[in-house]
Amino acid sequence: MNRRELLTAAVVAALPWRRVKAETEGWRTFELTTRAEISKPQGISRAWLPLPLAADTDWQRAAVNTWTGNARRMEVVQAGKYGVSMLCAEWAAGQEAPFVELKSRVATRDRAADFSRRSAPSLSRAESALYTAPTETIPCDGLVRETALLRMSKGARTDVEKGRGIYEWIVENTFRDPKTRGCGTGNIKAMIESGNLGGKCADLNGLFVAFCRSLGIPARDVYGIRVASSAHGYKSLGASSPVISKAQHCRAEFFAEGLGWVPVDPADVRKVVLEEPPGKLPVTDPKVEAARKRLFGSWEMNWVAFNTGHDVPLSGSSGPQVPFLMYPNAETGGERLDQLDPDGFKYGITAREV
Amino acid sequence: MALVVAALLAAAPPLELTDTGGTVHRLADYRGKVVLVNFWATWCEPCLAELPTIEQLRAAFAGRPLVVLAVQMGGSARMARDTAEKLSLRFPMLLDRNSAVSKAWGVNLLPASFLIAPDGAVAFTHFGELDWSEAEARRRIERLLPR
Repeated sequence: MNRRELLTAAVVAALPWRRVKAETEGWRTFELTTRAEISKPQGISRAWLPLPLAADTDWQRAAVNTWTGNARRMEVVQAGKYGVSMLCAEWAAGQEAPFVELKSRVATRDRAADFSRRSAPSLSRAESALYTAPTETIPCDGLVRETALLRMSKGARTDVEKGRGIYEWIVENTFRDPKTRGCGTGNIKAMIESGNLGGKCADLNGLFVAFCRSLGIPARDVYGIRVASSAHGYKSLGASSPVISKAQHCRAEFFAEGLGWVPVDPADVRKVVLEEPPGKLPVTDPKVEAARKRLFGSWEMNWVAFNTGHDVPLSGSSGPQVPFLMYPNAETGGERLDQLDPDGFKYGITAREV
Repeated sequence: MALVVAALLAAAPPLELTDTGGTVHRLADYRGKVVLVNFWATWCEPCLAELPTIEQLRAAFAGRPLVVLAVQMGGSARMARDTAEKLSLRFPMLLDRNSAVSKAWGVNLLPASFLIAPDGAVAFTHFGELDWSEAEARRRIERLLPR
């Protein structure tokens, strides 16, 4: 080997190829564009758009955002005790055709819990308290706790066993109600009191969070939006077109000591049951069984996470806080617009892989 | 349009990046001058609208101790060169290919601009589009220039 070859070999050996590969492997980048317009402005108008996660995780990198619009004030704020990140726009009375357009670039990769892991750092006392506390719509005591204790966690010793018991109970005992608007309201209190365990993702995964919290296991809803089709062949678990204005989806996580945050999605198991062609599948259908197995401990990241917040105040609004911020919200003339009606509001969200 | 403006006096994070011509730029090497560090990306429309105003600013301060460093988040050298050519930009286009520097500077909103005082402190931070050809922007720089 001559001197030049030796130097080249030394340089190659010193390059952190393996690390670079690990850091780039499996990541996909999506560009989300949200355009909100106030179609019939009256007086001062305001809009609040959820932003993707602002911090890096192993499965989603912090988003980079940019915006345009004709608002007199546009700013990013972190609201409420969960620090929900949102873009706030405010238009003066008389502003013609108020609009704001937000563009976010965010990278994701599939996520799976390593159940052999024992060394994950514990949550701080404050984090633990936050994610075991009740919210306005998620009670953690009374019937919720009794049900969790008697029906789901009997004989379970570890956090994972308890989480598994809750997950299986939700898959077995709840249903996806196609008549529920949007993703549901996440009003677990009303579900428990009425005994109606039908709903959509914010309801069913909200139940998961409520039961976990009632047992003292930190848990949280993760609100976001589907951005691409599923690579696992599930039509019901992906975005079917680049227009994703109605593709919002909420997931859940619970914290297992030593293991860290564990992703789950029992609501999507019920979605497969109801919607996967030909529809209304039995829970014994192989597609349902496969989804049920996979959605305890893993998420396909054809979805972008926004936040994990409950009881979110909307900056500058005199109106009520929202139970969660997953859709664009707006108000004009002191009246809230219907966040579940993109055509009337109006707003549009698109996604593309870059 | 009013945007969030914050004045900071903390020391600027390190910045060492290569430009499209292969020259390495270190922020520390520009101590004694005012430096405008502007983070941008090709997919950011407000960034592309803002860059020509930065070129106007650069031209207005030609011969004076003002340095402009435009940092492209992600993207390739070719994309940066094409943008510079299309918009007739004459300041260096630095390449932050893995966005590590942008992250270190806390940039998650684009465009993002930082004015660095001659002593290396961050004197002005701005997220969102700004018209750097306006008198107010020039006054802001005049105030920072060494006397």
